[in-house]
Amino acid sequence: MNAIELSHIHKSFGAFSISDLCLTVPTGTICGLVGENGAGKSTTIRLMMNALRPDSGEARILGVDVNAPEFQAVKEDVGVVLDEAYFPEVLDAAQVGRIMAGTYRRWDDGLYKSYLRRFELPEKKPFKDYSRGMRMKLAIAVALSHSPKLLVLDEATAGLDPIIRDEVLNIFNEFTREEDHSILISSHILSDLEKLCDYIAFLHQGRLLFCDEKDQLLEAYGIFTDSAEQLECLLPEAVVSREENGYGGVRALIRRDLAPAGFQLDRPTIEDIILFTVKGAKEA
Amino acid sequence: MKALVWKDLCVLLKQMRIFIFVILVIAVFNGAFGNVFIVVWAAMMPFTAMAYDERSKWDQLAAMMPYSIRDIVLSKYALGWLCMGAAALFSLATQLVLTILRVPTAALDPVGSLLGLCASACVLAITLPIMFRFGVERGRLVMFLMIFLVCGAAGAVSSIAMDIGDGALHVPPLVIAVLPAAAVILTAVSVPLSMRLYQKRTY
Repeated sequence: MNAIELSHIHKSFGAFSISDLCLTVPTGTICGLVGENGAGKSTTIRLMMNALRPDSGEARILGVDVNAPEFQAVKEDVGVVLDEAYFPEVLDAAQVGRIMAGTYRRWDDGLYKSYLRRFELPEKKPFKDYSRGMRMKLAIAVALSHSPKLLVLDEATAGLDPIIRDEVLNIFNEFTREEDHSILISSHILSDLEKLCDYIAFLHQGRLLFCDEKDQLLEAYGIFTDSAEQLECLLPEAVVSREENGYGGVRALIRRDLAPAGFQLDRPTIEDIILFTVKGAKEA
Repeated sequence: MKALVWKDLCVLLKQMRIFIFVILVIAVFNGAFGNVFIVVWAAMMPFTAMAYDERSKWDQLAAMMPYSIRDIVLSKYALGWLCMGAAALFSLATQLVLTILRVPTAALDPVGSLLGLCASACVLAITLPIMFRFGVERGRLVMFLMIFLVCGAAGAVSSIAMDIGDGALHVPPLVIAVLPAAAVILTAVSVPLSMRLYQKRTY
């Protein structure tokens, strides 16, 4: 079973639209959703949680159509962290816990309090006096404290210091040790996604440019760093895009399957693949 | 839905303290009119809660949680009814104490309080659908309308009622019969309308 299945989703807002979005996240995996600001990541999350109705297409979460009445119960199995923690600012963490206890049937107050201690969040301090990092930690604690099977994280690690971010990423990794647990995480911090994810999905201007296994992506591309003349030896379609390095040389993302055997290429990072792909899409 | 009402009560806690203080002042100094006014005023509490929700973008988070549109909408009505009921009871209890203490402005008037409850249920039923459609920010004009309704309703009840010198309001039987019916009918229309409008705004 797939944790997330979006099939041919279309949603238009006039100037911006999500077009023919097909995205599948297999159960037990972590998928990173990447895209520049305004690419449609948050809209995609709202569409898959039925917080926004698509113009066409179908979304299924944990095997259930999001338009079906049963989806209300499925939401018990989904922990969501949005790009900001949208709790009323006059509440404190203890009050948030009590409200969530009345919201989720499987709410585990002991677990919630253990996360509050682990994240060093004061229970009685009003939410408005929390820093951004503390707010995100509270949202993460809430998302993890009702035994979800799927975590949907929209910029959940933004604003966290590197130490806490690393700890949170470890928690997410621990979460997927259960074979029926899955995560969809959107982030601008590509190094985090490279560390965490099994799949990378890349949204650009409302279109999904690719959704592939991370390891396959890293093997499918190589970074070329040499002279422009040497690059000309390659088939034009092998070059995703290129940039001048300022000393007469070039740096380019190359499709390994179209490059000659033995051609010297370095291993790219996910960031390289994303940046060159966006550049290529703009040049096309 | 209980969790949502509890959330709103937690949010309104500080407001509640001020509210109780104002109720006391009005109850002591403005007898019968005050009884009606504070109950109608209590109907405004859901709008304060909605303003907090909008400010914190709670709706976006709530849409991700296992709350139905029915829960979200009904919770605001329930909050309004709770506040109105509590205000009426508090007002009656205060008037009872003032009557026992023989304070001249005391006006123990259960019928007046009941009419206040009905009038405020009408105000809530008229204004909540508009708030659910446009939100509190854009619904400021409606707030003015509501303040007008609050004052108008309290004034109307006072003018319809006859004060025969005992400090209590004496309302014609027809009004006593019509107001509760109006409250029930308006609420029965208002709740499904609010659900539809909220759904339209959200999606």
